[in-house]
Amino acid sequence: MNTKSPSIRIFAFFISAMTLLSIARIFAHTNDLTSRGTMAAAFGLAVPIGLAGLGGLWSERAGIVNIGLEGMMILGTFGAGWAGWQWGPWAGVLGAVTFGMLGAVLFAIVTVSFGVDQIIAGTAINILGLGLAQFLAKLAFSNAPGGGQSQSPPVKGLLPSVTIDFIANPLNTLQQKGWFVISDLAGMISGLFYHLSFLTILTVILFVLTAWILWRTSFGLRLRSAGESPSAAETLGINVIKYKYIAVIISGSLAGLAGAYLAIVGTNVYRGGQTAGRGYIGLATMIFGNWRPMGTGIGATVFGYIDTLQLRDNANIRGLVLFGALVLIALAFLGLRSGVRATSLAFLIIGSALVGGFLASTNMAPEVAQVAPYVTTLLVLATASQRLRPPATAGMAYRKGESR
Amino acid sequence: MGDAPIAVQLTGIWKRFPGVIANSDINLSVRRGSVHAIVGENGAGKSTLMKILYGMQKPDEGTITISGTEVIFQSPSDAIDAGIGMVHQHFMLADNLTVLENIILGSEPTQRGVIKNETALTRLTQLAQQYGLDVPFNSFVSELGVGARQRIEILKVLYRGASILILDEPTAVLVPHEVDELFSALSDLKAEGITILFISHKLDEVLAIADDITVIRAGSTVATVNLHTQKVSADDLAEMMVGSELPTPETRGSTVTDKVLIDVSNLSVLTAAGKPLVDDVSFKIHAGEVLGIAGVEGNGQAEIVDALMGVIKSTGVLVYDGEDISKWSTRKRREQGFGFIPEDRMRQGLLLETSLWENRMLGHQTLKPNSNGFLLTPADAKSDTARIVDEYDVRTPNIDVFASALSGGNQQKLIVGREMSSNPKFLLAAHPTRGVDVGAQAAIWDHLRMARQSGLAVLLISADLDELIGLSDTIKVLLRGKFVADADPLTVTPQELGTAMTGVKKRDEIGNTS
Repeated sequence: MNTKSPSIRIFAFFISAMTLLSIARIFAHTNDLTSRGTMAAAFGLAVPIGLAGLGGLWSERAGIVNIGLEGMMILGTFGAGWAGWQWGPWAGVLGAVTFGMLGAVLFAIVTVSFGVDQIIAGTAINILGLGLAQFLAKLAFSNAPGGGQSQSPPVKGLLPSVTIDFIANPLNTLQQKGWFVISDLAGMISGLFYHLSFLTILTVILFVLTAWILWRTSFGLRLRSAGESPSAAETLGINVIKYKYIAVIISGSLAGLAGAYLAIVGTNVYRGGQTAGRGYIGLATMIFGNWRPMGTGIGATVFGYIDTLQLRDNANIRGLVLFGALVLIALAFLGLRSGVRATSLAFLIIGSALVGGFLASTNMAPEVAQVAPYVTTLLVLATASQRLRPPATAGMAYRKGESR
Repeated sequence: MGDAPIAVQLTGIWKRFPGVIANSDINLSVRRGSVHAIVGENGAGKSTLMKILYGMQKPDEGTITISGTEVIFQSPSDAIDAGIGMVHQHFMLADNLTVLENIILGSEPTQRGVIKNETALTRLTQLAQQYGLDVPFNSFVSELGVGARQRIEILKVLYRGASILILDEPTAVLVPHEVDELFSALSDLKAEGITILFISHKLDEVLAIADDITVIRAGSTVATVNLHTQKVSADDLAEMMVGSELPTPETRGSTVTDKVLIDVSNLSVLTAAGKPLVDDVSFKIHAGEVLGIAGVEGNGQAEIVDALMGVIKSTGVLVYDGEDISKWSTRKRREQGFGFIPEDRMRQGLLLETSLWENRMLGHQTLKPNSNGFLLTPADAKSDTARIVDEYDVRTPNIDVFASALSGGNQQKLIVGREMSSNPKFLLAAHPTRGVDVGAQAAIWDHLRMARQSGLAVLLISADLDELIGLSDTIKVLLRGKFVADADPLTVTPQELGTAMTGVKKRDEIGNTS
């Protein structure tokens, strides 16, 4: 395992996942499991989660655990609704980023300058963000035509979106043939080029840009050093406080951008409760992704995919349950081979139980079916977390000159 | 020789902290291209002085002159610009960054913001070869041992073009052959005209490497000796430092009884991935016996100690005073007479942001004088802490200050005092005198000897081989989780032990050359 390069490992992981998904699709008799519509919707839902996760990544890389992402995202949705309603969608994006940033500046002052516990400060930002957005919405939208106490009038116009027909259409035809693995891959790629919002493209660019900035530039190295060993960084003449501020503010802008996606692309209004905990899920995907952009992106896509299937046909849920079961069983066999017996057996039992549930009912209770994917994710995370490499000082307050 | 240009000149430096005067009227001049040692007790003000010279703290009074120009440092970056580099006692390295990243951090060669790794690598490879400082540039620091970490720190400083190098207790964590490597690298640096400030309290090492020695006592410079023109012995230096004779760790006469107190059989500790860190190790310790374990750090010593304390999972049987205690909790082991001097006092020994008397309770919070069985008894704990502070000469303004306010050596004295106060039957001592000055070292040795006389069994781990040989009744050499050799402390030399520790000599009795 360890001798392979990371890119080969990721590729092998991806192909095995697609194979299992394909098996699940065939046995659950549901072509929609990997259809273009499902995939396109999954990528759509992945965008706000991914942006929040990317925001979390920036701040944690500089040693600040930003649990306030949710609050900054709520502020973002308000900013998008308010500015978008008056001056159109582009202004909405700008408004969202600005509002997210304001939340972040406050968070940075409290955590970086005053060294307040980051979890407490983050929770406060979440409560504050929610309350402030509700209050401002009441002020701004109550008497506006088409608005209400907790809803903005519609955003004027749409952001551009693209469909690349010559890629999306032939692949879609291929998907509908229902061939093993090939059709599933085709559906997935087709979904990537179908009704592609400007913000989705921007998100992909931001992921690549983040990886490049943090791991290739001197700015990125210095920012990461502020999270790995601030005292070492300080002895080398690096302004740790400055980098922490920058990281948190970028984090807040990305959370705001996630809010913009929800309010402008997802729907076209600001609505109370729109974020629905995606800030926290974003944070979880970042941990799932081992504090790296690539992993965070994959994590966000997985969560987006699970979300999508729940909104679609119930047959999909059955397919997803079977997929989860297959993943657990596959992991169990891998684990048994490398000698991790207890966990592997537990995986095998849970996996088999899920297969049993799948076979026993043609129409699963939606509640049971809906938790199954998350249970699977948790179990996978529980084993993966042993190899995680978080920034060494994430969550710790740093005072200048503390180095001993 | 005596009239080389002056690289560093400190005049009348004063530094006061609330309640303490760290430096009072320090005067120091260092010749270019020399190794200038600064020796003094723990808390004498050596580290504060170096922090001032490196711009981490500002002096209250006094001037710093570098190569004839007076300077005022606002931050370490000013000092770096002036050509000063510092290798800290506690390494300043980020574990999750690569060696290369750690070295270039803050002075990255870039092209429009993008780091040019090749440029850095070429330069570093050349530096590494020039001074014999070999490190794997693309590994993570977390994968490397202390010797390599120190080489990284030195490279870090050289990479920045430093001409004045401050080394704060550089040999504290090294084994003898690593010390030799360091000293040969230092000689190379000196030959290139680099000035080295060497802080230490190991007097024989200082005598071996230094050109000049300055002694600091209670914050002031007491004397400067030029080793080329003046003759001075370790005893003379010790007297200047503390006004007492240089102690030796020698124990007189054996106190080993025939009562087996600790009997460990087939102890193994595995990593999460199933790799053995401690590999099927068995040993016995009698009452009144000190068993010394020699080994390069990271060969399983820490794991043996943690397994015996019951803080990590292990397999094997542990018999204590005739009873199988493998299943006992750490708490019960503690209560039944296990004393523990941990290897890393900041991580396992103390709560830094907590007062001394509360630290006194730690690990003994269920026993008198800290508890009456149900409630804590702070008043008794406080008076007992005052006794420890007194008996073990812990230098502190009072017992209500945070443990972080104490210098490393004084923290260590507090821990040793705490552990000895509960009259342990079995003591696990990892580096009991690490970072402790000569005076306090002697006191700790005395306490250990007295306890041993009254039947204490000790498992001793130490990087200080003189200490190990001097205190132990039996020595075992640990390499990659296994005992590879036994040594007789009466005949073995530190050099022989050092060779066995690195695995050059295979399984046999060392020290019995006759």
